[in-house]
This record gives sequence, structure tokens and C-alpha cells, in this order.
Amino acid sequence: MKTLWNETRQIELHLSGKANTGDALLFEAQLILDPALRDKVLWQKKTYAIINNYGRAQLKNEIEAVHQKLFTATEYTSFRQKIRRLFKNP
Amino acid sequence: MNAIHNREEFFTRLYKKAFPVVAKYISRRGGSFDEAKDVFHDTLVIYYEKTVQQALNDDIDETAYLVGIAKHLWLRKFSNDKHAIPLDGVDVPFADEEELSTNRLMRFLTKAGSKCMKLLKSFYYDETPLNEIAETFGFSGVRSATVQKYKCLEKVRETIKQKALHYEDFVE
Repeated sequence: MKTLWNETRQIELHLSGKANTGDALLFEAQLILDPALRDKVLWQKKTYAIINNYGRAQLKNEIEAVHQKLFTATEYTSFRQKIRRLFKNP
Repeated sequence: MNAIHNREEFFTRLYKKAFPVVAKYISRRGGSFDEAKDVFHDTLVIYYEKTVQQALNDDIDETAYLVGIAKHLWLRKFSNDKHAIPLDGVDVPFADEEELSTNRLMRFLTKAGSKCMKLLKSFYYDETPLNEIAETFGFSGVRSATVQKYKCLEKVRETIKQKALHYEDFVE
């Protein structure tokens, strides 16, 4: 049974090069015949890039939160002073 | 190495270990606190990505590795030496290279497709195993999480395509 998510999965296998030889050949034949499928492959590729950017942006927010904690919480005072001392004007 | 279960703990530990060394290096070369912070944050992103991709040896000297990445990023960012040799795998684009339209799209996806984006990020970016994803997101099992992952991928793909047609500047 061919479901939509299965097509999405096949595109993923194609893009990651993880499909087995038979499936890969079949998919490449379908790509030649089906412009709509080619379009989906293109957009799915962009989607992975966007998920990666999104992941990075979220991670940077988490790192910033850790930074804020280290540079405000009382328990990290000595760590903070050690760093601040490095950037005193000459 | 398994997925990182507690990122706050992970980053706090790395910060305490490596930031003093990085800050010292950068301050001695005339860099500011904010510059040291920026370089270190990018360093942590790179290190995190390498860790989840299991691209590092288990016996690596963590601090030395972090300091190595930071030095490389500092030299690349603030020196005029155009002939610096790139460190393998470190040449990843960061926020300043993102396009304006991508930011608009990102804001839209963060708001409108929040659950799907979180699921997809968890799988593709954090490389969290599917059984953990199933647990976190409340799916009955790995199979159900897999189906949901592909459905989300398809939904987000179609949203991106539609939005791209509206945002005239989103063309590559």
C-alpha cells in the first residue's frame, strides 16, 4: 500500500543515499517520469536545511540561558570574577 | 556515545571547564568579553553537533578539543589572514549567513508548526532515538513515532513550499 508518508520516506532514503540498489533504481525511474515528485525532492531537501537551522537557533538559545545563569547566579561568583578579571582594561 | 539527556548540565560543565581557557586566549589577543562569548557559543554548537553525530572518539580531551575549535574560529573571525587552513568539518554556516526570508519562514514555522518542528528537530538535529522521542511526545511506540515523523516532515515541506511562493525574496 502506498501512503503519502511512505513517499516522504522514499524521498528521504533517496536523499540520504540509504535506499537499497533495487529501490534506488526504481525511485530514479520515477523521478524521470514524475515532475511533481522531483518538486517534492527539491522542497524536502530545503526542509532538512531549515530543520537544521531551527535546531541551531534553539540550541543557541539554550547556550545563552546557561551563559546568563553563570553570569548572574550567586553560586558562580568566583567563576564570573575569574573571567571578568581577564577583560579588565590594560 | 548516547544522546545528550541534559543539555543544561552538559553546557554548564563545558563552560566551567573550557571558557576560562578560551577567554584567556582571546583576551590576550585583544578580544573583548563579548567576542569571547560569541566564539565560545559557536564552539559549543559545533561540539554539540559532533557529539550527537558520534563523530568524536570517546577518549577525546574535551577541553583541549573545545579550545582548539575556539582558536580556529577566533583566527578565522578576527585575523586578516586569508590563507588560514580550514579545520576539517568546522566550516558550518552560522546565523549571519542566513537569509532574511529564511528568518521570516523560521518565525512562521516556530509559531504555526511548533509541535512538528520540535519533533523533527529532536530526530534530525539532536539525533534522539525514536523510542525516546515516542516517550517524550506521547506516541504509543517507535512505529507510531516514525509515521508521525514522516507526516510532520511532509506537512512542513508543504508549508515551506507554500510560504516560499508568497515570500518573493525566498528564492535560491
